[in-house]
Amino acid sequence: MISPSNTLIALVLLTALAHYLGLRRAVAAAGGHAHVQKLHSRPVYYGMLTAMWCALPALLIYAGWQAFESYIITQLVVADLPVTMRDLSAAQLSLVVNDIKNMAGGTIVSGDVGPELKAAVAHYLQLRGIGNAALAAVVMGVAVIGLVGARARISTRMRARNKMERLILWLLAACSTIAVFTTVGIVLSVLYEAIRFFQAVSVTEFLFGLKWSPQMAIRADQVGSSGAFGAVPVVLGTLLIAGIAMAVAVPIGLMAAIYMSEYAGSRFRAVAKPLMEILAGVPTVVYGFFAALVVAPFIRAAGQAIGLDVASESALAAGLVMGIMIIPFVSSLSDDMITAVPQSLRDGAYGLGATPSETIRQVVLPAALPGIVGGILLAVSRAIGETMIVVMAAGLTANLTANPFKAVTTVTVQIVTLLVGDQEFDSPKTLAAFALGLLLFVITLGLNIIALQVVRRYREQYE
Amino acid sequence: MFKKAMYLTVSLALLGFFATTPAAADAARDYVSIVGSSTVYPFATVVAEQFGKTTAFKTPKIESTGSGGGFQLFCTGVGVSYPDITNASRRMKKSECALCEKNGVQAVVEVKIGYDGIVMANTKKAKRLSLTRKALYLALAKKVPDPSGKEAWVENPYKTWKDIDAALPAKKIEVLGPPPTSGTRDAFVELVMENGAKSFGWIKAMDKKEFKNAAHTLREDGVYIEAGENDNLIVQKLEANPDALGIFGFSFLDQNTDKIQGAKIDGVAPSFDAIADGSYPVSRPLFFYVKKAHVGKIPGIAEYLKAFSSEKAWGPEGYLADKGLIPMPDAERKKTAADVANLNELPCDGLN
Amino acid sequence: MSSMPDHPIKSIDIVNKGLNRRYRAEKRFRRIGLGAVVISITFLSLLFISIIGRGHGAVFQTHMLLEIHFDPEIFIGVEAGAADYARLVKQALHAQFPDAATRGEKRALYGIVSSGAAFQLRHMVMEDPGLIGKRQSIWVSADDDVDMLIKGNLSAESGRLSENQLAWIERLQAQARLKKKFNTAFFTAGDSREPEQAGILGAASGSFFTLLITLMLSFPIGVATAIYLEEFAPKNRWTDLIEVNINNLAAVPSIVFGLLGLAVFLNAFGLPRSAPLVGGLVLTLMTLPTIIIASRASLQSVPPSIRDAALGIGASKMQMILHHVLPLAMPGMLTGTIIGMARALGETAPLLMIGMVAFIVDIPGGFTDPASALPVQIYLWADSPERAFEERTAAATMTLLLFLIVMNGFAVVLRKRLERRW
Repeated sequence: MISPSNTLIALVLLTALAHYLGLRRAVAAAGGHAHVQKLHSRPVYYGMLTAMWCALPALLIYAGWQAFESYIITQLVVADLPVTMRDLSAAQLSLVVNDIKNMAGGTIVSGDVGPELKAAVAHYLQLRGIGNAALAAVVMGVAVIGLVGARARISTRMRARNKMERLILWLLAACSTIAVFTTVGIVLSVLYEAIRFFQAVSVTEFLFGLKWSPQMAIRADQVGSSGAFGAVPVVLGTLLIAGIAMAVAVPIGLMAAIYMSEYAGSRFRAVAKPLMEILAGVPTVVYGFFAALVVAPFIRAAGQAIGLDVASESALAAGLVMGIMIIPFVSSLSDDMITAVPQSLRDGAYGLGATPSETIRQVVLPAALPGIVGGILLAVSRAIGETMIVVMAAGLTANLTANPFKAVTTVTVQIVTLLVGDQEFDSPKTLAAFALGLLLFVITLGLNIIALQVVRRYREQYE
Repeated sequence: MFKKAMYLTVSLALLGFFATTPAAADAARDYVSIVGSSTVYPFATVVAEQFGKTTAFKTPKIESTGSGGGFQLFCTGVGVSYPDITNASRRMKKSECALCEKNGVQAVVEVKIGYDGIVMANTKKAKRLSLTRKALYLALAKKVPDPSGKEAWVENPYKTWKDIDAALPAKKIEVLGPPPTSGTRDAFVELVMENGAKSFGWIKAMDKKEFKNAAHTLREDGVYIEAGENDNLIVQKLEANPDALGIFGFSFLDQNTDKIQGAKIDGVAPSFDAIADGSYPVSRPLFFYVKKAHVGKIPGIAEYLKAFSSEKAWGPEGYLADKGLIPMPDAERKKTAADVANLNELPCDGLN
Repeated sequence: MSSMPDHPIKSIDIVNKGLNRRYRAEKRFRRIGLGAVVISITFLSLLFISIIGRGHGAVFQTHMLLEIHFDPEIFIGVEAGAADYARLVKQALHAQFPDAATRGEKRALYGIVSSGAAFQLRHMVMEDPGLIGKRQSIWVSADDDVDMLIKGNLSAESGRLSENQLAWIERLQAQARLKKKFNTAFFTAGDSREPEQAGILGAASGSFFTLLITLMLSFPIGVATAIYLEEFAPKNRWTDLIEVNINNLAAVPSIVFGLLGLAVFLNAFGLPRSAPLVGGLVLTLMTLPTIIIASRASLQSVPPSIRDAALGIGASKMQMILHHVLPLAMPGMLTGTIIGMARALGETAPLLMIGMVAFIVDIPGGFTDPASALPVQIYLWADSPERAFEERTAAATMTLLLFLIVMNGFAVVLRKRLERRW
């Protein structure tokens, strides 16, 4: 049967063949295996180049077809429907088409099937058959042309390696732009709603307001209570929790990394490192439960025992658990950085009579510092953006405080509660989520620009 | 050798990936798509599961998005890529109905499915509380009438229940409840706080706007703790903290009767029967909304509606009652079932 | 001894004087390091103990033995699939406990068996129509409340089970007709609102498809980006911009990626809601920065001598990187990928916005079928009122962790084969 997936498999096989043929041709052009040094590039590059000529144009056509096939066939089917049906609105029509596709797929249908629909289904199936056959013919044709053409051009002077390398370079560069597109996408998808929010609430109030209480009316006839949208307490709450987390994670993570890379035997390392990486993979939902049900009550009870008033949603509980989660981020990346410091530096320090700990503190750590700072920054980002732990363990009330025993709220908690609540989507309350998202984005952007400058200034290349 | 094996695996995986995706991409939707409130979710899913297991149709897909998010998706348009049904723990708003109309979703059928009791509960390790709505109002409002009896507002001074009513225990007031974004909070404020405020003649006499302002604002000094929407978590927090009172749906009390107990409100303890006959005062209706244009086009919608509105599902002895849904009175059930069968449309004008 | 100052002070004396102090500092430092590792592993074991402590019960499920008579009467006039199998269960219960007479008592009696029993019988008859008319003893699963009672998670005084029900359960136990059996449903079924029928296979396959997409896209793209930025990109504003971007994306809260997925993949590209394909794409974007940053760091750590040597024997820059630098940088890249994938595996928030937080009973069979994912399943079950979901939540977490350990194990093997130290 001719289906798109079979066509694809055939194309892959053909590409493999192209590689072989190109390679053979190159060797032949050089005059046999003994003379391959006559070629400009190694024979394998000729093979790769032929394979690329065979596969890439055909793949492009294939992808284009996949993108438009459904649309074209649907239009053709719709054009043949009886007039009464064609005149339906576009939305209604999409439902009719859904029925047709369901029938064609052999699944259950919604209602009675008229003769027009049956005809349409037959038409649809027929078109799809033709389409698949045409696709197979075109794709294979292009692939064969590419193969033959590329193979014919192979000669000893052809700069196959340079061509391949340029292609790879373009591919690499294209990949690196994806990050930029993602950012643009995020900004665009957040910005529109954020602007609508700022039409209701002024930017200065949002940025500098000291009170966050999105108690606005759910319905038009309700009167909002003190609807205040000052983001300062929310942001400070985020920083407080992230700060506690880092206070836990950085010392433990860094010391663990040092121990594992400098002291631990390879067997200890082989066991302990993956174990610590598991900490990073425990779902944050689970950490959230751990924080809310085990750590928070424990801290509360401990606080009461020594006469402290601790909230049941204290920042400390959320921060501690978040810190545990982040330990492997710090340790794993620092470990790699420390391992990467050349042995000669250590040997030099030992040679001067330094103890291992002195070597680490005065030679290895400074050398690995830029990388470690990078790892820590990554961990800070993770702490600020972490959602589920704080949703479960931190409060929702925005207190303006630096007391870790009080409940604070974070930006991500607010975003989640605002977005999954029951209120309607055009109220400032929901829109505030987008504004917060934008704010978070801007804050981290600023932090990162600073961090980049810092790291760049202190980075050194060691052998 | 090892490298080669790796390359081979990777390329095979890629091949498999590309070979399977396009074949599936063209498939049409043959299941009912439902979105909406997390409060209705536990009930709708039971019906969906029964429906999927007892008919030839696929099991409907039910997303838990919150009522607001549900309406937002539901009202985006007519067509296969939009949901057929949205669940809601409150009625549709006029603005949402207008959004629907603007996007071509003209005909919407409203289905009321029953009631959900809202309970105030504490751990069984402590004594059961017996509260009045007035006491709750005084305990939770941001500004309360001057305790000396003057007709003036003061910041809420009450720290313990005993401060409000000498008959209540001398325990710290600490209430874990839903955030302002929640429909449960909305219903609680309307049914408890407003009613409590009305017990003061001069507040009742205020104009509507001022009255609501007074009744709807909850304390922000840490006495009322916004605890998110995970009710199981609230139950567990109550166990850890014997002083605290939690506000959540009846089904969670029903499932945890060995751990927590519901406070009496105006002398009535929350129970299935008390909520059903209306003697327990705090309950709110639950709904779902159906896109009429999709009925008869997406397979299974009409049959799902029929399954939902059958006595076997939402009757007093139906399986939804087992899950904690409080059924509507007989007459109302019959009428709603008939409305559903006829697909009577909901006019936007009747909404708030 | 007062003559000491007369001697010239040798440096070895200064060293010796400080030696003990330095050795102590050395030991202390080492102990702190070991302590840090021990603390993290203690946390890990604490977490595991608390999860396993709560979840191990779900591996077994209480079943009860019923004498089912496949009464030919109920098959008269209907297809075998549409017959009233619940009646068979009720008849069997009734035969066993004839003392349930009133309507309420009967209801209570039927309540001790799972509603899934009827589906089990249906399945049996569909497999073997010859059963009709026969009698057979069959183990069917008990209701979740009974299960909780037997496992000791629900006290008899809770009021969830009536006096009558408790008496019946005791009688069943006395007759050895109540037994805990391996909970196959948990590993072979999709989601369900009845705890005793709920399984994780649906969510697990959803996670599998999602992660497959994420891995296949994010690893090659991440490594390619890292190579370009680290080795080829000219140092100018444009690359600075990309670099800041990538660091920044690592900090963007995951739910914002969900918003992006909603706006771009669902609304602009028109991809289906709740599909692993979209989940995978969103998680790819989320994981990419982690992989890129780790990959760049590990490219940086390859010593220049390797590069110089490769260039010295005539390799082109591309050959030098692909043939020499990349293999040496692989362990670090794999570490970054594991961390990224681990994060993706446990992520819930972005899936919320693209419709994967959903009740899906049918097990997904491809990249575009509606699916949920394991962490989402945990999140949903944790929010379910039924008591029995508590242990199933923990059991699902155990499964998720198992996946994680398998992934990590695979990576450890890979890394061991490739790791080098200089």
